Amino acid sequence: MTAATLTVRPQGRRAPGEENPKVRRRLSGWWLLLAPILVFDVVLFLTPLGKLVASSFADNAYQRVLEDPLVLRSLVNTLSISLASTIVTVVLGYVIALVLWRAGNVTRVILFAVVLLPFWTGILVKNFAWAVLLQDNGIVNAFLQGIGLTNAPIELLHNRFAVIIGMVHCLLPYAVFPIFSSLTAIDDRLGLAARSLGAREGSVFRRITLPLSAAGISAAGLLVFIISTGFFITPVVMGGPGDMMIANQIDYYARQLTDFSGAAALAVVLTVMVSIMVAVYQRVLKAGGQHEDN
Amino acid sequence: MKTTNPQHRVLALLSVPVFLFLVIPTAIVVPVALNDSRYITFPPEGFSLAAVAGFFGDKAWTSALTASLQSAGIAVVIGVLLGSTAAIGLHGRKFPGRSAVMGLILAPMIVPTVVLALAFYQFFISIGMVGSILPIGLAHAVIATPYVYLTTRAALAGLNPALVRSAQSLGAGPLSVLRHVYLPIILPGLISGALFAFSVSIDETVMSLFMQSPGATTLPVKMFTDIQFNLTPKIAVSSALLVSVATIGLLLQVMFVLRRRSTARMLPLAVSAQS
Repeated sequence: MTAATLTVRPQGRRAPGEENPKVRRRLSGWWLLLAPILVFDVVLFLTPLGKLVASSFADNAYQRVLEDPLVLRSLVNTLSISLASTIVTVVLGYVIALVLWRAGNVTRVILFAVVLLPFWTGILVKNFAWAVLLQDNGIVNAFLQGIGLTNAPIELLHNRFAVIIGMVHCLLPYAVFPIFSSLTAIDDRLGLAARSLGAREGSVFRRITLPLSAAGISAAGLLVFIISTGFFITPVVMGGPGDMMIANQIDYYARQLTDFSGAAALAVVLTVMVSIMVAVYQRVLKAGGQHEDN
Repeated sequence: MKTTNPQHRVLALLSVPVFLFLVIPTAIVVPVALNDSRYITFPPEGFSLAAVAGFFGDKAWTSALTASLQSAGIAVVIGVLLGSTAAIGLHGRKFPGRSAVMGLILAPMIVPTVVLALAFYQFFISIGMVGSILPIGLAHAVIATPYVYLTTRAALAGLNPALVRSAQSLGAGPLSVLRHVYLPIILPGLISGALFAFSVSIDETVMSLFMQSPGATTLPVKMFTDIQFNLTPKIAVSSALLVSVATIGLLLQVMFVLRRRSTARMLPLAVSAQS
């Protein structure tokens, strides 16, 4: 590393990031700081992905997997489970975000911690806990029998309902933050003005809060949907054989059928789907005035 | 603003079940692990450390714990080194291709983990690196590094470039500037990034599942395999261990959020952390 590795700024006022040709020549070594991550990502990220894409073009893989009725079924499952999870997550996330928005400072920190706890907890731990709660002799079934809704335990696990519960629980924190930040951007005086003109709470919410947080809602919905499409663990632990999603299908092709070109083709299809949605998501963020790099 | 009017009270009331939904599953894990029963039950029937003793007396589980700690160690060391140097290298510099470099650094967060799992699985077999924890640790490092980069970048946002300039005009060499100017400023970001990296690795299941071997089975892989047959007390103990890690991470993060609000804003970026 040479003296030129680090920023040298000339005397005088200059905004950070502004170029000065004289300085630039003396800074020829700073890229040494970027070299480790670039080498690492090229060797261990781009190369494996490149090999994956290359192997997907072998053996007519795309046509083969897209003609497999199991694959089509898992694609349909992925879309319908993700859509249902996204709708439930965004509605519940909106309720949480509203409470966080209206809470006092101390309450807000405590509730933030409550929202973040499932974020920090691994997905397997969360699904295990749900399996304990929803099992035949679990507390939910005991409660349902206690209030006389049913006489025998209901099978609450290993079905689509359980998959959606497990996924919503994992996804909620991702919905809360975009909605919360769009709510905090609303000028409180708008509500005050509306109320002073006689608007009731319901119409303040419908005509001010909801439209002004629409960008947050769509960002949250897209983000949650993007994450949903890649779920792998929850359908196995909480779902039945009919609830397999696209990630499970990739696993099935790779580890059961040892059909690597087929698995690679499916992986490319999933990645392309997700990349398109990520591009749309970034558009929505920009349109909503929320920038990622700050 | 305080919740004074009746509509806000209705909202608070409505939200109670939602908050319970969020918190109950995580809250029951430790009591279930300390339950005095051979079966998994909640509410617990009594207090016992039998399951904990059973976990630590079972070679399969303790070696899974060791494997997880090793892979997390690899991910944290690589993540901290690469993430922090990248954040410093990009700080306040404009050059052609800057956004491409940033895109490459953040890209591992966007690719679904199952896709990366398949790619790594094929890649490490093709170069003959199988049967050890190293490829799993390296794979975890790939997805953990962007987190360290982001937390370090957030910490650097508060750095006045004049500090670097004055240090250099006073004769500080590059290593000295790194040590005395950059390091104190990025330290909170580094610690929180290291925590993220540790947490990402210790909970990661899909890549570890694809790359598992008899000598390299991590805790989540062991849990995932066992959970499909039965809910056992040892899975509960393993979950309780992971919840303890999560709680420590959460408490430290709450401290960061209290000190500076930027940490919470990066969370929605974590596209691929869960699947």
